[in-house]
Amino acid sequence: MAIADRDSTETERPSTKRRATAESMATQQRSISVSEFFSKNRHLLGFDNPRKALLTTVKEAVDNSLDACEEAGIVPELWVRIDPAGKDRFRVAIQDNGPGIVKKQIPLIFGKLLYGSKFHRLRMSRGQQGIGISAAGMYGQLTTGKPVRIVSKTAAKKPAHYFEIQIDTKTNNPEILNGKGEGIDLPFGAAGEKMMADLAIEWESEIPPDFASAEGAVPAPLESGTRVTIELEGIHKRGKGSVDEYLEQTAIANPHVTIRYRDPDGNVMEYHRSTRKLPPEAREIKPHPYGVELGRLVTMLKDFPGGTLSQFLTDSFSRVSPPVARAICEQAKLSPRARTKRIGREEADTLYRAIQETKIQNPATDCISPIGEELLLKGLRQVVPGEFYAATTRPPSVYRGNPFQIEAALAFGGSPAVQKISFDLLSQLLDESDARTLKQFLVATFDGMGPDGAEKIMRESRLGTRQSVAKLTEPERKRLFDAMRNVNLADGQSMQVLRYANRVPLQFKLRDCAVTQTIMGMNWRPYGVSQSRGSLPGGPITVMVHVASVWVPFTSESKEAIAAYPEIEKELRLALQTVGRKLGVYLKKRQSIRQEGERRNVFLRYLGEVAQAVNKINGTDAKVVYDLLMKVAKKKTSEADVQLDERGKAIVEETEKEYGGGVLIVDQDVASVEKQLLERIARRGTVSEIETATDADE
Amino acid sequence: MAKKARRPAAPVTPAAPAVELSEADHRTLGTLRSLADRVVEGAVASRPPHLDIPSRSLGNVRFNKAKRFIEMGSGKNRRELFNLAQAKAYMQTMLVASGCKALVEQGKSTSIRGMYYLLKHTIAGTKEETFDEQADCDPIIEDVEVALNTLREELHIYAQNKGSIVGNLVFRDSGDEIDCSRMGSGGYTIPSIVEPNVIQFLKCDAKFILHVEKDTVWRRFNEDKFWRKHNCILTHGGGQPPRGVRRLLNRMHHELKLPIYCLLDNDPWGYYIYSVIKQGSINLAYESRRMAIPGAKFVGLRSRDFERCELSPSVIIRLNDQDIKRAKQIAQYPWFVDKKPWQKEIELMLRNGFKLEVESLISKDISYVTETYVPERLAEQDFLD
Ligand SMILES: Nc1ncnc2c1ncn2[C@@H]1O[C@H](COP(=O)(O)OP(=O)(O)OP(=O)(O)O)[C@@H](O)[C@H]1O
Ligand SMILES: [Mg+2]
Repeated sequence: MAIADRDSTETERPSTKRRATAESMATQQRSISVSEFFSKNRHLLGFDNPRKALLTTVKEAVDNSLDACEEAGIVPELWVRIDPAGKDRFRVAIQDNGPGIVKKQIPLIFGKLLYGSKFHRLRMSRGQQGIGISAAGMYGQLTTGKPVRIVSKTAAKKPAHYFEIQIDTKTNNPEILNGKGEGIDLPFGAAGEKMMADLAIEWESEIPPDFASAEGAVPAPLESGTRVTIELEGIHKRGKGSVDEYLEQTAIANPHVTIRYRDPDGNVMEYHRSTRKLPPEAREIKPHPYGVELGRLVTMLKDFPGGTLSQFLTDSFSRVSPPVARAICEQAKLSPRARTKRIGREEADTLYRAIQETKIQNPATDCISPIGEELLLKGLRQVVPGEFYAATTRPPSVYRGNPFQIEAALAFGGSPAVQKISFDLLSQLLDESDARTLKQFLVATFDGMGPDGAEKIMRESRLGTRQSVAKLTEPERKRLFDAMRNVNLADGQSMQVLRYANRVPLQFKLRDCAVTQTIMGMNWRPYGVSQSRGSLPGGPITVMVHVASVWVPFTSESKEAIAAYPEIEKELRLALQTVGRKLGVYLKKRQSIRQEGERRNVFLRYLGEVAQAVNKINGTDAKVVYDLLMKVAKKKTSEADVQLDERGKAIVEETEKEYGGGVLIVDQDVASVEKQLLERIARRGTVSEIETATDADE
Repeated sequence: MAKKARRPAAPVTPAAPAVELSEADHRTLGTLRSLADRVVEGAVASRPPHLDIPSRSLGNVRFNKAKRFIEMGSGKNRRELFNLAQAKAYMQTMLVASGCKALVEQGKSTSIRGMYYLLKHTIAGTKEETFDEQADCDPIIEDVEVALNTLREELHIYAQNKGSIVGNLVFRDSGDEIDCSRMGSGGYTIPSIVEPNVIQFLKCDAKFILHVEKDTVWRRFNEDKFWRKHNCILTHGGGQPPRGVRRLLNRMHHELKLPIYCLLDNDPWGYYIYSVIKQGSINLAYESRRMAIPGAKFVGLRSRDFERCELSPSVIIRLNDQDIKRAKQIAQYPWFVDKKPWQKEIELMLRNGFKLEVESLISKDISYVTETYVPERLAEQDFLD
């Protein structure tokens, strides 16, 4: 009754006109091209704002290059270049020394969404959907109207192919703009070089020698590789969520990669590999029955070329032997000999349920290629200055039939570099800096120095926020120096979390990610770390977590946060607990060494008096007595001495054992901190025009 | 302006050349030197230096029934330089030793306060003082005495002078002849060092010693010329008698064969003073040998004196909780526990619920104590032992 009443009142409204009819609506209904869909929903792919668009473009190309190199067994050498191309426009070029792409595939890869080699296979790789690079190209095309330009070369003596490609967004098909729709071949040798020069095509033709290679080593010619150039609308900003951050974090998780980056301001930053050893090759596996959803099962059944149900199960899935197949069929009350073509929707449903109910061995997990503890430690140390590092690689595990593996590493920072440098070095850095304001200088020069820390220092030194670096007088420099030493920067510092999925850094949606949630849900206090309930722990700690899987469960297409499967959360917790415990051992040890040091200080204070007294009583030279007692004191407090006397020795073997391996301890003396700082600055080139880092995402 | 690093100059003038050292001085210097030598030897052998200091706590004293005084046990406390809790005390001990060495060598002596100022200074490179106050220094001096098994006098340190003497006695003090019967109203102040090298007895006609608790009572006896009438020696120790007084009493008792009678208050504090004179103190147990006088007798006041002397109720002082506790403790001292009369005495006081001071006898008559009370007790041989 009530419903009828309401209907009647509505129909009674006189002016109400029907807005659309089924017929009028039918004229609007047609298939939506994927490209069209994504051009309207670009945020799904990480192009939500101009700043992120620039990053995503670099990221898609770099991820592809690394995937290609590794799959081809080539030690990756990458060039990344961003040039300004007008207001809020950039030309992004990424080149690799990978295997190259065969000519006829190039247009499809760069000019067709959902075209790729990785979607159909279960194999650990950075890319998995077949959208990445073509979406970036499309974004460029939509914002600038410029085509994607590709140069690719597959062998030393072969020609390079050059394409200018656009996507037809209506049909999701590539349009080749150059060489009368065929692309252009650039022959090997002088002729090709001339053509490149004429067409203003950029191409790195040689690989500079490694840092580690012998002196006088000559550059090696580049035999094969691919260069993608995309022009797009974007904004370039440093700091969190920036290209710089992405490349730096990529370097941590990929210590076998060298990346040379030239930013829009012309600064060159080089991330040099610390090993030439490639990660072990990731193996492709068949899907595990537990991981297949009903819809997928139906499609697979439909696509199966024909045969019995038993054949289908054993051929399509891993860990399904004929007896297991028979068990599944029995459970589903289906004949193993039934033809797959005859399996209807309802039977597929019972088959799906039977699979879940049958006990099937977990998939082989040796298809995952972890970074490994040693390289995790190495990588983290290169980018995060600290005094203690720990890493662990968990054994592989399985969620929903997909093998995955968790790795965690942790860096615990000594006092920040800003408090260790000498006045001379500070002066030198100030002289060399081209930062406009002092605040920019501080933020750009010192790691772990946020705008807040910089402000604290400026306040303490009574220097204005907009104080120009060039105009600092000598007494002002001294004041700055004193303030840098006195301000407590560790206060209010919270744990930095670096997340990785298949070696790709995740820079956004920190709080939506299973990794962050696991960290916040754990109790870190037993490890000697401060933490308020349900939040990130405090202190100078950086935690790095790597989730590796044949299929990383992201919360969305833009691959920014990892979904919280209970199996994954459990492994995350175990890995984090392992490194947390190691940190706990270290902190406790450090505490006792510190106490020991204090103890010795107490003794030292009185040694002089005792020596004097002895001298007055029996005439023994006070200095001799003092030195003798000092020796005894040192022996007595030898634990503190190991740390004080043998500086520079990074690892104490004995302690390694205490932690059960997987740790690196770095002594924090002034010289080594300065050296680290200088190295890092050298690697980054000069500092210029650095905007204060803010995170658009959070 | 800035804090002074060093305190005023120590009350010891710099070394006067060619001081003649006594045999005891040579012995003291020897023990001090061996203390320093052990530090050097230990350090050469890279052994952490330490000192073993006989413990001066209640746990390390015992009552020697045969000798009838408190003795120190063999318990020792190790004091180590490389021990966080002991480092400073170790350093201070060595400082005191070096200070004593300087005193002995120069033939000077100083008070414990003087020693504190002699050694107090800011430790080089710190803001810390070697000694913050005299209370830090005094126990260290005692530590050095026991550790070296020497006497304070042998270390050339004296305590404050306290206590007086009058009577038919002549002695020589540091070369000056002192006739204690010609000391006017104030008496002769008993020096803190009364060892034979300082004081030699010359002539004694007195037949006994009357030791009273404090100055006011002593003056009464002196004014009434009690010592002349009764041919005795009259002393007081200003409450708990200092070492000099105890040592002098001990010497007179043993060397002049004079019995000692103590006139003290009828309260736990009076009992305690008597116990210290007779059996020695816990803190100076190592000195008992030279100081305890097991033969000393207690003449009064007694718990029964309120009735016996028919005192006015206005002179009584109620016992407080502290007194009751102390009284019960004293009753349990090993040297009191087996003595029936003492147990009765303390019991009675507790039962009375009040204590009596010697001065309370004045309420009867100003000279009641000198003319009646003490003569009667002596005549009746009525004392506690
Ligand atoms: N630099 C390159 N060298 C060689 N092959 C490449 C290169 N870049 C891309 N490819 C090939 O092109 C395919 C499509 O790349 P694309 O980035 O569009 O998708 P994807 O990497 O498979 O998945 P995702 O969308 O997750 O990035 C890849 O699967 C790879 O086979
Ligand atoms: Mg990709």
